[in-house]
Amino acid sequence: MELNDANLQTLTEFLQKTLDPDPSVRRPAEKFLESVEGNQNYPILLLTLLEKSQDNVIRVCAAVTFKNYIKRNWRIVEDEPNKISEPDRTAIKANIVNLMLSSPEQIQKQLSDAISIIGREDFPQKWPDLLREMVNRFQSGDFHIINGVLRTAHSLFKRYRHEFKSNELWIEIKLVLDTFAKPLTELFKATIELCQTHSTDVNALKVLFSSLTLISKLFYSLNFQDLPEFFEDNMDTWMANFHSLLNLDNKLLQTDDEEEAGLLELLKSQICDNAALYAQKYDEEFQPYLPQFVTAIWNLLVTTGQEVKYDLLVSNAIQFLASVCERPHYKHLFEDQNTLTSICEKVIVPNMEFRSADEEAFEDNSEEYIRRDLEGSDIDTRRRAACDLVRGLCKFFEGPVTGIFSGYVNSMLGEYAKNPGVNWKHKDAAIYLVTSLASKAQTQKHGITQANELVNLTEFFVNHILTDLKSPNVNEFPVLKADAIKYVMIFRSQLPKEQLLQAVPLLVAHLQTESTVQHTYAAHALERLFTMRGPNNSTLISPTEIAPFTEQLLNNLFKALALPGSSENEYIMKAIMRSFSLLQEAIVPYIPTLIGQLTHKLLLVSKNPSKPHFNHYLFESLCLSIRITCKANSATVGSFEEALFPVFTEILQNDVQEFVPYVFQVMSLLLEIHSDTIPPSYMALFPHLLQPVLWERTGNIPPLVRLLQAYLQKGGSTIATSAADKIPGLLGVFQKLIASKANDHQGFYLLNSIIEHMPPESITQYRKQIFILLFQRLQSSKTTKFIKSFLVFINLYCVKYGAIALQEIFDNIQPKMFGMVLEKIVIPDVQKISGQVEKKICAVGITKILTECPAMMDTEYTKLWSPLLQALIGLFELPEDDSIPDDEHFIDIEDTPGYQTAFSQLAFAGKKEHDPIGDAVSNPKILLAQSLHKLSTACPGRVPSMLSTSLNAEALQFLQGYLQAASVQLV
Amino acid sequence: MPTANVTDARMTKFKNKGKEPSKLRERRIAVCVELRKAQRSESILKKRNISSLPDDEALSPEYATDNKEVISIAIEEIICNVNSNSKEQQTRGCQAARKLLSRERNPPLKEIIDAGLLARFVDFLGRDDDPTLQFEAAWALTNIASGTSWHTQQVVENGAVPAFITLLGSPMLHISEQAVWALGNIAGDGPAYRDALIACNVIPALLARLTPDAPVGYLRNLTWTLSNLCRNKNPFPPLSAVQQVLPSLVQLLHLGDKDVLSDACWAISYLTDGSNDRIDVVVKTGIVPRVVALMEFEELSVLTPALRSMGNIVSGSDQQTQVAIDAGVLSVLPRLLRHPKPSVQKEAAWAVSNIAAGPCQQIQQLITCGLLPPLIDLLRNGDFKTQREAVWAITNYTSGGTVDQVVQLVQSGGLEAILDLLHIKDAKTILVILDAINNMFLAATKLGETEKLCLLVEEVGGLERIEQLQNHENDAVYRTAQELIEKYFNEDVEDECFKTEATERDFVFKPAEVDKQFNF
Repeated sequence: MELNDANLQTLTEFLQKTLDPDPSVRRPAEKFLESVEGNQNYPILLLTLLEKSQDNVIRVCAAVTFKNYIKRNWRIVEDEPNKISEPDRTAIKANIVNLMLSSPEQIQKQLSDAISIIGREDFPQKWPDLLREMVNRFQSGDFHIINGVLRTAHSLFKRYRHEFKSNELWIEIKLVLDTFAKPLTELFKATIELCQTHSTDVNALKVLFSSLTLISKLFYSLNFQDLPEFFEDNMDTWMANFHSLLNLDNKLLQTDDEEEAGLLELLKSQICDNAALYAQKYDEEFQPYLPQFVTAIWNLLVTTGQEVKYDLLVSNAIQFLASVCERPHYKHLFEDQNTLTSICEKVIVPNMEFRSADEEAFEDNSEEYIRRDLEGSDIDTRRRAACDLVRGLCKFFEGPVTGIFSGYVNSMLGEYAKNPGVNWKHKDAAIYLVTSLASKAQTQKHGITQANELVNLTEFFVNHILTDLKSPNVNEFPVLKADAIKYVMIFRSQLPKEQLLQAVPLLVAHLQTESTVQHTYAAHALERLFTMRGPNNSTLISPTEIAPFTEQLLNNLFKALALPGSSENEYIMKAIMRSFSLLQEAIVPYIPTLIGQLTHKLLLVSKNPSKPHFNHYLFESLCLSIRITCKANSATVGSFEEALFPVFTEILQNDVQEFVPYVFQVMSLLLEIHSDTIPPSYMALFPHLLQPVLWERTGNIPPLVRLLQAYLQKGGSTIATSAADKIPGLLGVFQKLIASKANDHQGFYLLNSIIEHMPPESITQYRKQIFILLFQRLQSSKTTKFIKSFLVFINLYCVKYGAIALQEIFDNIQPKMFGMVLEKIVIPDVQKISGQVEKKICAVGITKILTECPAMMDTEYTKLWSPLLQALIGLFELPEDDSIPDDEHFIDIEDTPGYQTAFSQLAFAGKKEHDPIGDAVSNPKILLAQSLHKLSTACPGRVPSMLSTSLNAEALQFLQGYLQAASVQLV
Repeated sequence: MPTANVTDARMTKFKNKGKEPSKLRERRIAVCVELRKAQRSESILKKRNISSLPDDEALSPEYATDNKEVISIAIEEIICNVNSNSKEQQTRGCQAARKLLSRERNPPLKEIIDAGLLARFVDFLGRDDDPTLQFEAAWALTNIASGTSWHTQQVVENGAVPAFITLLGSPMLHISEQAVWALGNIAGDGPAYRDALIACNVIPALLARLTPDAPVGYLRNLTWTLSNLCRNKNPFPPLSAVQQVLPSLVQLLHLGDKDVLSDACWAISYLTDGSNDRIDVVVKTGIVPRVVALMEFEELSVLTPALRSMGNIVSGSDQQTQVAIDAGVLSVLPRLLRHPKPSVQKEAAWAVSNIAAGPCQQIQQLITCGLLPPLIDLLRNGDFKTQREAVWAITNYTSGGTVDQVVQLVQSGGLEAILDLLHIKDAKTILVILDAINNMFLAATKLGETEKLCLLVEEVGGLERIEQLQNHENDAVYRTAQELIEKYFNEDVEDECFKTEATERDFVFKPAEVDKQFNF
């Protein structure tokens, strides 16, 4: 592409078109630009346009296009063609800095970004003049240009803040320091002087303060990796100026805006960061300066207002104090009682106050409020910073700080008592203060787990919290009520049970309050209380203790769902779920009414599922209703099907992806309740369940497998007779699953059910292929998980079809295969089997191989007999996995935050563990003894001799024990 | 990305590399680029003799000024005197030069060299007939050699090395001492001149002067010169030379003078700052118990190099580390971890990090000797560099320790302390901490107590910090944090491996045809 007017014109036209709102115009233009960008001079044409075009829109558009072009093409990827010609590269680098500096701000920003992208690749080796060129501009005296340079430098250097130390990186930094540090320091000093000379010129000040902020940011980047010699030598200059800037105020720079931070705030905020960097990393060198910074930052805090625009500054400043005060050698800066008192009074307390912004959020944006207040997304807030400072101070001064705050708490409560209507915010601050002072460790699951012993939590509860909860007008002072509820919730592990029981009916009453935050907190608190553990893994609060309030509780929970703003409130739905689970059969009388409400809700949300947590708890609640009711009377299952199937059909037909996995689980639960036949309504659905499209969604796999298992269990023979043509499709699902490392265990679940429940003749023709598939997978990727499932399966097969059938099918596929599997897989890996049922299946299967398979006695497999027996004894005698799985009542769904993409498993649709062997074998050790005895009588003398020659002594001793327990002797 | 390289570079510094990455033993990394001021705790490479003789008159103005003209006049006079044939004039010239070169500020090294005086000074070194002249010339050359590499080079290229070695044998002790000093400056210039001196047999000549009756000042200079002959890597001094010096160093290390001990210790630290076979040579002398004893000195000048030497030794093989442990290093380290000087804390933590990289028996000894509490204190309260070393110690400990040992560390507060450090402003250290956390989770998994550990991490605010790290600018950091969250605070899903054919209605059940034999 020539650098001529015609091309500039063409390019202008196409750039113009890329701004067209109509995609049929825009897209082709974008395509065209992409198709020509490989030509030489293309970037130069863009630069020419952004410099010289008459049309401002085109200039900006060219700048953006240029930056994106650089972003896509500048990097030279090894083994790929260089996408920008060398002459173009050279020309760009020669002109871009000048161009950037002489352009208006909008274009300057784009070019500055482009420079940093190029710099990332070329600087310093392939762009040696860059720094010099930039530094020379410091002399220009034009702060528009200087700020352009500083911004560019910032984008070039900021990576020093997060990259790992390396020689390469440090060589670059050293080079930068050598050319840049001194001029930057001079510029810093000069800029500060200029600020004094122009202290009455607001426009000049604005530019100068932007420079100072940028310079401070550069200081941070350049000092990040290590303390450079230059900056150590010039620490006086920098720190003295930083210090005075912290103290500086200029009316002209104060902004009216309450939200957006102004230049002064941004600069001071960065200085706090710089001081924190030095305090953390270069403590030894910074020590002399630190006390004055503590004082300055503290003064800053004392004099800064409550407006939102100061939030970042204040939170940075407080965090600085918090990090310093817990270091032992600065303890002395804080330990004076007066100092502590004024920090508490002037820094902490004011920043804990409930501000009008909080009040607005409480009323109008309850979701955001709850997220911040309850879920801890308050990292950058003032309250949080103040809390951290309290914790930092408590490290050395817990006693004094607690003492000081007790005074404050009392006086704030006193203020409140004088005139609650006006002073309620004082009580809010008091409660917040107590909370931050008392909580030393906290988890979602248990609330506060460690508390400051100097705070009497129960006393405070009785005197100040309970009173609010008991107040007859539940809608008065909603913030304080919410505080009180939250107090119960977070200190639940610290409060005595009788207090909690006293709170329960009060919380139930608060479910009816108007304020969303308030009734949400009430639901959440109840849910958390119901999840607390008492002795013996049971719930702390028993259904009997709740009995007097059961009706009220259920009523209020469901009524709360009707309150404005709470129709899909996940906290309420979770509380419903937890109440069902806690109350168990006590809910049965209410279910006929409640199931209608739940189904109705389901129908509504399935139109547009938007609250995943809410929906999840809704399904959990449905499962609980079914389980609890059918446990009392299994005949009621039909009425649930009647109520639910219409909605389910709609969900499946409309393919509501979020809900399909849930529907399958609820259907499994329902089907499993049926006695041993499969209703026709289910059979009609069967072919559809095998459709590949359903299985492509990973979230569907576990519930679908589960559902197919239920089909096989209840209707194995029905499938064999009336849907035999579907068997290959069913096995196809197995094949699909077995191919995946993530899902192979699911494939085995299915296969095991097929083996267990299908009539043998219905699968005879497929058996060999099944094994070939398993061997192929074993050959291609042998994972521990796969081997464990494989071992369970072959032993189940052996139990079901006999040891001879197993050996024959192996050896039919490939001679000596049976021996190879025993030697390479069964013997070494059977110890890995975990789970009671799985162990039992393997034990029985191996016993059969040992005692019912002639090939083990009379062929070259004989040498494997003793090792196999030894492995079996090992399986018996391995220490049992004694970890008790969590009782499902306590399961927390937020423990699995990734559930949306993964499988949305319903805890309360849980499947009972199934033992395919069942009572046929109650003690596998006895079975082994009896089977060995039988074998020894069939071939007298051989068994004892095999045992005595190759079984180790310990195993032999265990075996003797089994024989004795079974009262048999080997002959 | 340089990030991957850095990790690798660090990995290759660990002792048991190649065995498994978890066996980490950290060696001091020789970073060629430094941003900081040169280390203040190291001993000096070159020194100028600025003392004055008792009979020297106070420096006249002409020696104290920076006025170029005055100096050039003075040098003119010196040239004239030195080049004359008169003994007296030569001595006077030489002495004047020496005085100029001995003044505190801005000695005119280059001017004297440019005046072409060095060849004459070297000549004077051979003037056994005139000890005063010999001495003044030796002193002047010593001070020139104390300058930059270029200055030293001028001295060497004028043939000073053989002359000084000969001068070592001077019956006049102060002349011999000046030769020792000059040779020390030349040796301190770098490996090239050091090896050149060694090739000229400087070591036997120096050792010959090491006698029981040598005055302490002489011994100090001698020890310092010997230490410079042991100094510098790339390359190391020849092994034969090291073998020659070592017995005498061992002797010196048993003397009582602090300065001698300091430089002898520095020599040991240089000799141990290398591969295991270098360390082995030192350990075999049986000096390790003495180094441990020297670590108990209060004087920083002795303590620092002794601790450095020990740090080097325990960065060696497991056996070498065991020698140090048997010599009692673990009973000294707790006190050094609590030393008031941050630099001592840092070096001690570094040594502990290397012991923690050893087998679990050695880790057990760390526990038994009470190293955990002070180490954890440093994580909480040490300065940045010390914290960084302490973090390495924790990570090494958790990767080599048994499950029980890791549990003990967690119970002693190690987990909480490293979690608190996740706000540290250094990407590498954060990554190392995440590694330790991961190791702790591996141990918890073995015990089936993952959930308990999750709660513990959450309780002390660690979960929140790790979650925040998912926004870290450094790729490796955010990925590691993310993996940790996904692995222990989340459910995970794996990838598919091979495909099954499908129709609209169902999957096709059909194993692929294979002729390959199955073999597991």
